[in-house]
Amino acid sequence: MLGAFAVGKTSLVRRYVESIYSDAYHTTVGVKISNKVVQVNNTEVKLVLWDVYGEDDFQRMSWKYLEGAFGYLLVADGTRPATLDKALALEQKARVEVGALPFVFVVNKCDLVNDWQFDATLEAQLAAKNWSILRSSAKTGEGVEEAFARLTEAMLR
Amino acid sequence: MGETPATRRALENPEQASENGIDPLGELRHLILAPEQEALNRLHQRVSDPEARTEDVSSVVAEAIQLRRQQGGDEALSHALAPTIETALRESVRKDPGTLADALFPVMGPAIRKSILETLRSFLDSFNEIMDQSVSWQGLKWRFEALRTGRSFTEVALLHSLVFRVEQVFLIHKKTGLPLGHGVAPSVATQDPSLVSGMLSAIQDFVRDSFHTADGQGLGRMNVGDLDVWVEQGPYAIIAAVIRGIAPRALRDSLAETLENIHRQYAPQLEGFDGNTAPFAAVDGDLARCLAFRYKEEPRRKGRGYVWAAAAIVLLVLGGWAGWRWWEYRGWSQLVETLHDQPGLVITSFGRQHGRFVIRGLRDPLAADPGQFVKSAGLSPARGEFHWGAYYALDDAIVQQRATAQLLPPSGVTFVVEDGVLRPQGSASSVWAADLVHRALLVPGIRAVNLSGLRRNEQPAFDKAKSDIQSLVVTFPIASATLSPSQLAALRTIALRLKALFDAAVALQQPAALEVIGHCDSTGAETTNLTLSQRRAERVVWQLGQLGLSGARLQAKGVAASEPVRKEDSEENRQYNRSVTFRVYSPGAN
Repeated sequence: MLGAFAVGKTSLVRRYVESIYSDAYHTTVGVKISNKVVQVNNTEVKLVLWDVYGEDDFQRMSWKYLEGAFGYLLVADGTRPATLDKALALEQKARVEVGALPFVFVVNKCDLVNDWQFDATLEAQLAAKNWSILRSSAKTGEGVEEAFARLTEAMLR
Repeated sequence: MGETPATRRALENPEQASENGIDPLGELRHLILAPEQEALNRLHQRVSDPEARTEDVSSVVAEAIQLRRQQGGDEALSHALAPTIETALRESVRKDPGTLADALFPVMGPAIRKSILETLRSFLDSFNEIMDQSVSWQGLKWRFEALRTGRSFTEVALLHSLVFRVEQVFLIHKKTGLPLGHGVAPSVATQDPSLVSGMLSAIQDFVRDSFHTADGQGLGRMNVGDLDVWVEQGPYAIIAAVIRGIAPRALRDSLAETLENIHRQYAPQLEGFDGNTAPFAAVDGDLARCLAFRYKEEPRRKGRGYVWAAAAIVLLVLGGWAGWRWWEYRGWSQLVETLHDQPGLVITSFGRQHGRFVIRGLRDPLAADPGQFVKSAGLSPARGEFHWGAYYALDDAIVQQRATAQLLPPSGVTFVVEDGVLRPQGSASSVWAADLVHRALLVPGIRAVNLSGLRRNEQPAFDKAKSDIQSLVVTFPIASATLSPSQLAALRTIALRLKALFDAAVALQQPAALEVIGHCDSTGAETTNLTLSQRRAERVVWQLGQLGLSGARLQAKGVAASEPVRKEDSEENRQYNRSVTFRVYSPGAN
């Protein structure tokens, strides 16, 4: 799970699975790990989700946590254009740090779609990338299952 | 070194001295160097003389070795001396083993003792462990805990006496943090291995990032309370062992060895790991071998173990002995109670003497055999002894037996004794019955005889004869008391039957008498009839007297027509009323 601070990564994971660890692990170790078994194309796949502490100005994310990952969910907050920028930056950084990995770009908080702020250039930028993009809401559950399913498929491909 | 005149000359004139056959230079050399020469000669002589040299070396050899040791040449010295010493020792043993044995004795004794002591101690320790677990308070507590928790006793004991136990072993792919294998000790609660592996990897990364450690290094050990997590690093995978208690250093070596083996066996799979753990299925077996444990050794219990065990055994033996004694005493007491209730046995004392139960008392010869009761009570006859005095019991049961034995009742007669009264039951001859009355009173315990329950053999015959005689009718002509010849003949027969009847009555002790009753028909006057009937009766009595029957037993009675034999509804029946009939009765009872 990659994304800027407070974009809702933890909420997405929490919506999706249960974990034995508390959220306090985020602040102590910088990561919280959860499990989820999913059925994709009649295959049972066990996902081990590393929910990495959000990157902000005060704390830098440990890229080590991304090493060994088979794919990631790139999360942004639709109501904060800055997080979209951050997501773009993170994707580039990830490419440098661990190489090209399958990922799904999730724009979270679609329950607040009226507050979404996209400027034309950003939209054009995204459209040009030809990414797998999804709208989701950790609050309503919309798009959550699909985001993980799509990522699993991408990783298996 | 005084200057001689010759020397002086030679010094003044060397040529002349030479010419004179004297070598002045030699002389000079002699003069100058003679003392040194002498010393040199002495030295030479000393060095070339082995004896003297030995003497010299001997005085410094100890100091030389000491000096060498101080200089730190110990090892070389030892090397140099070792073969010689070895040879010397061998030679000494060959020559006389006793010398060396004597020399070593003070060393060997304690060494051997120590070794034996150690062996014994370890044997006792393991013995104590078993004893501790089975008989101690601790053992009982564990048993209770096992009952309470539903776990086996062994498991509970194991849990309490473990020094350490490797509860879980994880083999984690270093790069992805995914678990490749997982070993768990029995009855250990676990979390999802993939989550634990992930978090362990994350913590590794976290530590490396936070403290800038060199590549390839990582967290080696985590410790919380009595729980330790040991991590062994490999190029592709790490092994993490979760240990409860204090594990020895050797365990880490075994973890490292396992990790090395896995790296050797699965090198390509580890390098190209794609998230599929199937190729590592066999790794769990390797990990299971790392699930080691060790028991606790409790030195503070040394000695106490056997004291407890011995105390327990002594208590057990004492308790068992006391219990057995009590049980045995109870058995014999119950036997005494039983014997006490037996007729013909009187217990006067009961007690234990010299480990045996002694029962004293009186015994009627006819009483039951006490030995039978000992057997039926399940007691050992050897454990007890009886002392009986003989006596005549007055218990009814015994008296009854005694009477039966002494009086020998005929078949068909049984004796019942109640309160000293003998009551024969059944049927016997009157003679025997009459005899019994006298004989029975001689039997100890019989104070009276009651024959009411005894039927006589003669009774039925007597009753028959009585009834027959009473049905006889001796008839007379009208208004006459004269017997016809036929009736006279009949009376003869009647007389015989009466004699037999009286005899039987005597035998039966039932005194009998005969009433001869005279009858008349209803014709004629009452007074005439009464006289006639009286005359008829007396006629028969007289006639019977003539036939040998004692008159004392015969009584004539005229009843006129008041007791007709038959209803006078025909002449034939009327004839029956002109007659005499008989009634047998018991005098006195009448």
